Amino acid sequence: MRIVRPLVFALTIGTAAFAAEPIAVKVATDTSGASTRVVLTFAKKVACAVAEDPGHVKIACDAAIVASPGSGTLDDAILKSFGAEGDRTIVLATGRGYKSVDTFELKNPTRLVIDLQGARTAKVAPAPAAAKRALPVIVLDPGHGGVEVGAIGPAGLQEKDLTLDLSRRLKVLLERQGVTVVLTRDEDRVLPLDDRTAIANHNRAILFISIHLNASKRKSALGAETYFLATAATDAEARTLAGLENKAYEAPDAAAMPATPATAPDHGLELILWDLAQNSFLVESSRLAEAIQTELNTATGVRDRGVRQAPFRVLMGATMPAILIEAGFISNPEEEARFKDDAYKDKVVEAIARAVASITARP
Amino acid sequence: MTRRFLVPAVFVLGAVLAACGGQNKAAPEPVSATPPPAEAAAAPGPQDEAPLVKASVTLYFPSATGDALAAETREIVDTKRPADRGAQILAALLEGPKTEGALPAFPQDTTLRQLWVRDDGNAYADFSEEFMSGATGGSADEILTVYAVVNSLTENIPDIRRVGILVAGRERATFGHLDLSRPLPPDLTLAAKAKATE
Repeated sequence: MRIVRPLVFALTIGTAAFAAEPIAVKVATDTSGASTRVVLTFAKKVACAVAEDPGHVKIACDAAIVASPGSGTLDDAILKSFGAEGDRTIVLATGRGYKSVDTFELKNPTRLVIDLQGARTAKVAPAPAAAKRALPVIVLDPGHGGVEVGAIGPAGLQEKDLTLDLSRRLKVLLERQGVTVVLTRDEDRVLPLDDRTAIANHNRAILFISIHLNASKRKSALGAETYFLATAATDAEARTLAGLENKAYEAPDAAAMPATPATAPDHGLELILWDLAQNSFLVESSRLAEAIQTELNTATGVRDRGVRQAPFRVLMGATMPAILIEAGFISNPEEEARFKDDAYKDKVVEAIARAVASITARP
Repeated sequence: MTRRFLVPAVFVLGAVLAACGGQNKAAPEPVSATPPPAEAAAAPGPQDEAPLVKASVTLYFPSATGDALAAETREIVDTKRPADRGAQILAALLEGPKTEGALPAFPQDTTLRQLWVRDDGNAYADFSEEFMSGATGGSADEILTVYAVVNSLTENIPDIRRVGILVAGRERATFGHLDLSRPLPPDLTLAAKAKATE
């Protein structure tokens, strides 16, 4: 057995773990990329070691855990199934395509991300050069495209053209920082919102940045704002589905409670969980949003509309920090004019690039 | 102070009514947006014994500053059924604001087709095609239109905790940017911003 990750994972429980209740662990898997990703979200901090056995990858924790779902089977050449062994270990049964395992951890909430590298045939087209690519990937998403023009300024500037222009400029700057940049679209075409997120997941991006321009009925509205996902819409659902609802909080009189949860029964379980993927990355997303908004304000002197949250569809399924920039109002004649100026556009993307550098340079 | 006391009272009443109509619990209750409130008052339903009693409600319109919701107080007929109350509130929203500092919440000619209120706290408002086709394409306007509806309904009707939006009878995945695939809870930060800027 080769120990991949010894007890480095947030050593805080120690011996006190004995009498405690089992720690809830949400298990999520994603096979949409070149590797198979498993994300374990822990209700509490716990020390875990990741070890490799022939045919298995084991995550052994130093306290009792209860996984939800407790087990699962996948149609995947890299990861066949997962399940529990005893009350402290999660076992991933690897398939024929499995080669190696990488892990990293995230905080608030405590998450262990396990990337199972390998090869699978036919199921999905491999990401361009994904296996060879050593540099981290950032996905930029130029909003709108094709017949879906987005907002239109009073002088005729179209949002879809400006978002692509800004994204291409930003790509050049970011690649100088030593990252690979993938644009969700590099031409004028329609691209569904869910596909944009899928491109980021598929490329195992470390950041997803969607670029938009705003519009308002009020012509004088102006300024820039940066959004991360609002999850109030989905928190209760997430907890219910993840099995993390504390039973102690249930009403004693079960008859007085509605018989079925409020979740839409017509949606498959998997679909709902996929919609909630971004929930695990909100802390990092808000940090990225703050950094970008601060840089935009300083560099452009544009009216600061602040960091905000909204249930934007394009952010929901992203399995990495994800934000949406509304760089300005093209419905405002002055801001529209400003965005026709190359120097101003460069100023905007330079500000975003500086913010990204401050985030990715973090140890 | 009075309002604080009234809210649980209305809630209890709602619960009693819900309990009375126990057998069709699962079925949504469609309520036509027309007739307007005045006609509803003239033709009282069986449950409205004193239909002319008025209640004041708080409506939320996009503020003229363009980045928040502005509150406006209106009187509606004090019907107790959440769907009746909700239809009146949306009719008043569709009429448009009466104060300066507030803008219409909807594109011109938008109408409400139906409103359902379910026992699980979800309400579903079905608007005419103009709701979407007349929009500017900006997320700022999208947010204010959607939360004018969601915040106005949830603030005044305790039985409604989330609002789903349909357009021309169909579910929509998004309103351009915002996810509309599931009912939304109110965004209270939008109203807070309005107060801060006043």
